[in-house]
Amino acid sequence: MVGPRHVGPAAAQSRCAAHVPRAVMAALLSSAGRLRALRPRLPPLLPPLLPPLRPPRPDSRNTSQIRFLTLAPQEEGRVKEEPISEIRTRPTWQFDWALNKVDNSVRKTGRIPKSLLLKIFQEMSKAGSPGSNQTLLLLRSCGTLLPEVVSPERTQLAHMIWDKMKELGAVYDTSHYNALLKVYLQNEHKFSPTEFLARMEEANVQPNRVTYQRLIAAYCNEGDIEGASKILGFMKNKELPITEAVFSSLVKGHARAGDMKSAENILSVMRMAGVEPGPDTYLSLLNVYAEKGDVDSIKKTLEEVEKTEGYLMDRILMQVIFNLVKAGYPQYVEDIKQRIRFERELIPDAMNLCLTLITHGFEDISFSILKSFSHLPRDNMDQGSFFLQHCVNRDMPVKKLKQYCNELKEAKMHSAPLTFILRCALETNKPALAIDVMKMMKEEGLPLRPHYSWPLLVQYHKEKNLQGVFEVLKVMHELGVELDAETYTDYVFKNFADSETARSQLKKNGCLFESVELHVAEIRWEAANGRLDKVLSILSSANTPSIDCRLFRNSLIWGFKSSDDVHLWSKITELLYKDERYCLTPPGPTEAVGYFLYHLIDSMSDSEVQAKEERLRQYFHQLKEMNIVIPASHCNGICRLLDSSQVPELIKGARLLCDKKSLSTDNIPESAKSDVSALEKKLEKRKAENQPITDVLKQLIHALCEEENMQKALEVKAKYEPDMVVGGYAALINLCCRHDNVEEAMNLKEKVFPKSSPVALDTGKYIALVEALEKHGRLEDAINILTEMKEKGVPISGRTVASFSRILNAAAMRGDVETVNRLHETIVNLGLAESPVLHSPLITVHLEKDDMPAALEALTSCYKKYGKILQLHNIYCRLVEKGDAELLQKVSDFISREYGDMMALYDLFFAFLQTGKYKEARKVIETPGLRAHPGRLQWFAKRCIMNNQMETLEQLVELTQNLFECDRDEMYYYLLQLCENNDDWGKAEAVWTKIQEENIVPREKTLTLLADILQKNGQVVPFEVPKVRQEDSRSLSAAVEEERKIRMLCKKNKGKEAYNVFMKMQEKEEFHAYSYDALIKALLAENFLDEAMEVKRIAETHIKGFTLNSAASSLLIISQVRRDYLKDAMAVLKGVLDSGMLPSRPAATALIQAVAEKGDLKNLQALKNMLEDVTKSIDLSPSLMANAVALAHVKTNDLDAAVEYLEPLLISGAQNPDQAVRNISYLLRKVSEEGLEPALKKFGVMAERLASQFGIYRPVTDLFLQYVSADRVDDARSLIQRCDAIAREKRTLGSFMARAATKPGQAKMIERLLELIPEHLDTEVAYRYLLRCYELDGDVASVKAVYEKTKAKNVQLHELSLKSLAVFLKNVGEPVPFTEPPETFRFYVEKWRNRRLEAS
Amino acid sequence: MAAASAARTVGRRSRHLFDFFVAEIPWTVSSKELKEYFSQFGAVQRCQLPFDRDTGFHRRYCWIKFSTPQDVQNVLQKDSHILEGSKLTLKQQTRRKRSQRRTPRE
Repeated sequence: MVGPRHVGPAAAQSRCAAHVPRAVMAALLSSAGRLRALRPRLPPLLPPLLPPLRPPRPDSRNTSQIRFLTLAPQEEGRVKEEPISEIRTRPTWQFDWALNKVDNSVRKTGRIPKSLLLKIFQEMSKAGSPGSNQTLLLLRSCGTLLPEVVSPERTQLAHMIWDKMKELGAVYDTSHYNALLKVYLQNEHKFSPTEFLARMEEANVQPNRVTYQRLIAAYCNEGDIEGASKILGFMKNKELPITEAVFSSLVKGHARAGDMKSAENILSVMRMAGVEPGPDTYLSLLNVYAEKGDVDSIKKTLEEVEKTEGYLMDRILMQVIFNLVKAGYPQYVEDIKQRIRFERELIPDAMNLCLTLITHGFEDISFSILKSFSHLPRDNMDQGSFFLQHCVNRDMPVKKLKQYCNELKEAKMHSAPLTFILRCALETNKPALAIDVMKMMKEEGLPLRPHYSWPLLVQYHKEKNLQGVFEVLKVMHELGVELDAETYTDYVFKNFADSETARSQLKKNGCLFESVELHVAEIRWEAANGRLDKVLSILSSANTPSIDCRLFRNSLIWGFKSSDDVHLWSKITELLYKDERYCLTPPGPTEAVGYFLYHLIDSMSDSEVQAKEERLRQYFHQLKEMNIVIPASHCNGICRLLDSSQVPELIKGARLLCDKKSLSTDNIPESAKSDVSALEKKLEKRKAENQPITDVLKQLIHALCEEENMQKALEVKAKYEPDMVVGGYAALINLCCRHDNVEEAMNLKEKVFPKSSPVALDTGKYIALVEALEKHGRLEDAINILTEMKEKGVPISGRTVASFSRILNAAAMRGDVETVNRLHETIVNLGLAESPVLHSPLITVHLEKDDMPAALEALTSCYKKYGKILQLHNIYCRLVEKGDAELLQKVSDFISREYGDMMALYDLFFAFLQTGKYKEARKVIETPGLRAHPGRLQWFAKRCIMNNQMETLEQLVELTQNLFECDRDEMYYYLLQLCENNDDWGKAEAVWTKIQEENIVPREKTLTLLADILQKNGQVVPFEVPKVRQEDSRSLSAAVEEERKIRMLCKKNKGKEAYNVFMKMQEKEEFHAYSYDALIKALLAENFLDEAMEVKRIAETHIKGFTLNSAASSLLIISQVRRDYLKDAMAVLKGVLDSGMLPSRPAATALIQAVAEKGDLKNLQALKNMLEDVTKSIDLSPSLMANAVALAHVKTNDLDAAVEYLEPLLISGAQNPDQAVRNISYLLRKVSEEGLEPALKKFGVMAERLASQFGIYRPVTDLFLQYVSADRVDDARSLIQRCDAIAREKRTLGSFMARAATKPGQAKMIERLLELIPEHLDTEVAYRYLLRCYELDGDVASVKAVYEKTKAKNVQLHELSLKSLAVFLKNVGEPVPFTEPPETFRFYVEKWRNRRLEAS
Repeated sequence: MAAASAARTVGRRSRHLFDFFVAEIPWTVSSKELKEYFSQFGAVQRCQLPFDRDTGFHRRYCWIKFSTPQDVQNVLQKDSHILEGSKLTLKQQTRRKRSQRRTPRE
């Protein structure tokens, strides 16, 4: 059951995705002043509209810090909604899930709950062998991301993690040292930078620019300008750029050295160095003023910045507040607070400030900041939960908590603060607080429920604290909560040996409170523990009150199953039946017991029923003796269950209980299956005997349609016209449409299905008609058909809609506006269908004609009429390309109005990116208040990957760097995906550096992908590659290390090397089954069968019941077949099937063919039996086995037997599509290749007989194609003269050509086909494959010759062929004699495939 | 034999299918309150709210089964379901093909 475990995060995600736009909308609207000004920014097309405002562009190296400061708005409620307890109890630790959770937490809230971090740390310690990025993630989390923890404790945590992970084998690279430095800085941890550098050197890790920057910051924290200058010297020597981050540090450094003048002077120094002071620098300056309590300078600086730079300082001011409070100047907080606009966007930052303040003991100031948000609309979300939770964590006195609760309630910020505190107290195991809070809740009249006591009871049970349990029971009773049966069974009784002991103990300790629930619990408890005697005594006790037996049915069933005492079963059942306390309510004892019995049997597995057959028989008999009856319907149900468990004898017993009054019989009629063969003959015969022929005629028509034989079908129709029924006509109409015979199709339709007639065709046939009519320009007729469809209420399915869309798109691509509009209008107005895909062509048609005003018109009208925005990206791009400012403004306004600014901005952003206008794109994405919309970003990124647009994608990643809530790892992952597609390791390496600079912890999948790209291209991987995680590895022993090495070698296809390591390995006991699988697979892939077998043998001695997995087994089978160890291969196959696995199709095929080659009919039959059930599952062609058996007969020189076996199969196969044995190509190929001419002749005769007598053409087609393959053109020619039906097997011919075009050297085959049956081939298709063949051969001359031929013959080549041809010619340096189709290859492949799908 | 037991498994399962998966249930609510809430739409046949025996809290999701398809429709009629201030997330469970066998309940 995967559901529950995954539901949490998934639900959270979906909730988020749905929520984001609205929240942003609100944010955008609430700060309308700022955004409205920015909205219609269409630079450079509309220069006057460009706002003078510049959004903050923090230094990229500080992104995490800045992002932390500028987190986008989040309802704080969500934080509360992620209970830690859920994680704590997860049975199997979901590693990636946890890492994602941390990452999400950071991105959305700017912090990590300490418990989450610790939990992950513990799990990682337990699992051993931590990955590089996992360690990085843990380290990075030990700074300001833990606002709930005091700084020294955070540093301590970081050190503990560092040491522990190292011990477990973590390999540290520059990124880890940099992360540790960052943590030191954030925690203001005193350390020696020189020692730090020395340590790096010792570990042979190179410091980089980021390292130096952070070391300078460290010196500056101590006011050590000299030290900072030393590092600056290093940087200059290495010619590393000096960035804003360095200058910001220096501001602090000078100030802390007591030199405010120099500190202030840094700003002009940096300007001279060509670096503009940004938010980082100002934050640094403001902080040093705050440390000095210099509120006047703060104000002055702020005013200056606001005047000159126009930054939004709110987030920076929060930091200033903290520094003021910490430095002992709380009196200035109010001053600064007034300058902050407490808007939604600020909530995460404010939350972190509040938490930090509480952590430092300033909870009242924290609360005043919290209340600054009381003016925001609450939208049913509680505000301040995080505050209360942290207060509980910090053990705030109850009185103070109560006061905060009251104030939150009064300010209408929180709907249920007390209940929330109760939950926190329960979660953090603070029973005294929990009880106090429950008492307060009672005073306030809030409901108290039994399950509130459960967390407390769980804890006391764990502690084996019985007094605690009694106390809780008493308190709950005092509070007036009547505990339910679950409380007792699940949380109380398990402290005692049995319910009797429990009862006496509770009584002794004054907490026995009699209730029905208590009795239910006692019954359930005893039953569930299999003590039926106790159950009986409780049920028969006079003290037991009335209880509906359904309340303990499940437990009782459980008890019955774990007891063998039939007598007790009967006694209890009798009691249920006769004691009215247990079934007093309707439907009464008969039903109740019947129902109980049914569930009892139903809950037992087949084997259980079989094992207990005798006891159940006795049970039924005893019940009968007791005069118990059950309703017939229940009895029937029980009998059916018993029947499926294969215990027919028991059924008699169960029948004894049946209430005779209500007995009924139910017969399910078997649907008769018709068996049709040789329809034509049958028809003739019937006609001759003057019998009705309508049915046979219909079947014949259908069969002909199936074979696409229009000519013959029409002939048959003409001949037997009076006996034709509608079904036959319908099939004929469809056939005519398929063959483009629209005249005949319409004639038949008008004649048989006139509009006035109530009889309708089915949907597919109407669609075929519409399509054929439209294709032939008969628009009015097509519309009439559509109208008729509506009038006759033809059902419209999703497939129909797809067909409509196809028809409309075809017209749109031709630029046929009238057809598109009229057909669309008809379809929609009639209400036939309503789907966005149908409206799209309305716009496409104008784009095709490059008529932008009309396209825009169509866009808005679609939106007005159908509420859908379609083709928007294409319109935007086209407009940007054309530089049509006016229309661009128009469409932008329109989207803004209807979908909000954010959507319009994204659309604009993507259009600028797509068209290479990156400067403009940057301006758009930097709009303040805009935040990441993962769905939209993904859409565009995937598009770039699909279309191989590296530059565009790089720009997307670059430009979204400071976008709020942007999942950076995901963005880089997109980039790496494209690098992988292009094998661009250089770019991939650059991505790695970028990731470090942005201080991002890459996910494991990102690192793996990066490593793969580098490795694949023969590059060194500069970090430790995340390894395949092991489920149960305790420590990194030598064996584990070796196992890892072996797996790594296997992964690199170095099986033999891995084998050598393995054979030398000492402790093979620890080697895992999956490693054995991998090793064996690697060996087999290199054809080391003996070695593989040896490993398998070792595995079997070390691991009890070791079985290879199916992939390795399949490879093994193939290797064995190759070596002709057929018996062994059969044994392996049997093993695979017996253990419930499936072999691969190639393995099964190889084995079947090999056994057939041997003529070993006996084993072939055995194989057939083995594989019978799995044929479908592994997609084995049913024809294969039949071919193999026939071949085996040939090999034993028994041609007659082969034909006798095969022929009936082919005949019935033609009519039974489920088990269709249709083709004999394998058989023919084998006998032909081996020169078994008599056999080939014999099968040839059979094939021709099947064609001429039974109308089965596939075998003869196979023969024909075999001749073609074997270059026996004359045989092929004479065959087709005798049997021209071959040409009708269009699909077979098509797939023959398709297969030929997959490997080089096969062009001849298609040439031969073109020579033999040119008129029966789809020339476009044939030439496409022929060209492909020559392209594969690299035969330039032939390619050109074929192209000329198509031109001469006026063959319209598909765009795919042209695209492929153009690429081929360009590659060999030849001119392309036609315009190359503009889209990508993949695009045309899709198009081709769609066409094929539609055709089929 | 194998087929028969498979059919049986399917049969069993189909009867245990629920109509809704409900998530984001506030911790204050137990199955009693859930049943009370949902009974306004029809007869609640089963409500399974799993509790974590290790913490004593429930897992904030449950499954609900109604007696008739009409009840299910009634639930779907309502745009949003709010229980004790929390908006519940409902997901209708897709019904698999009913087993051939009729159950005695019907």
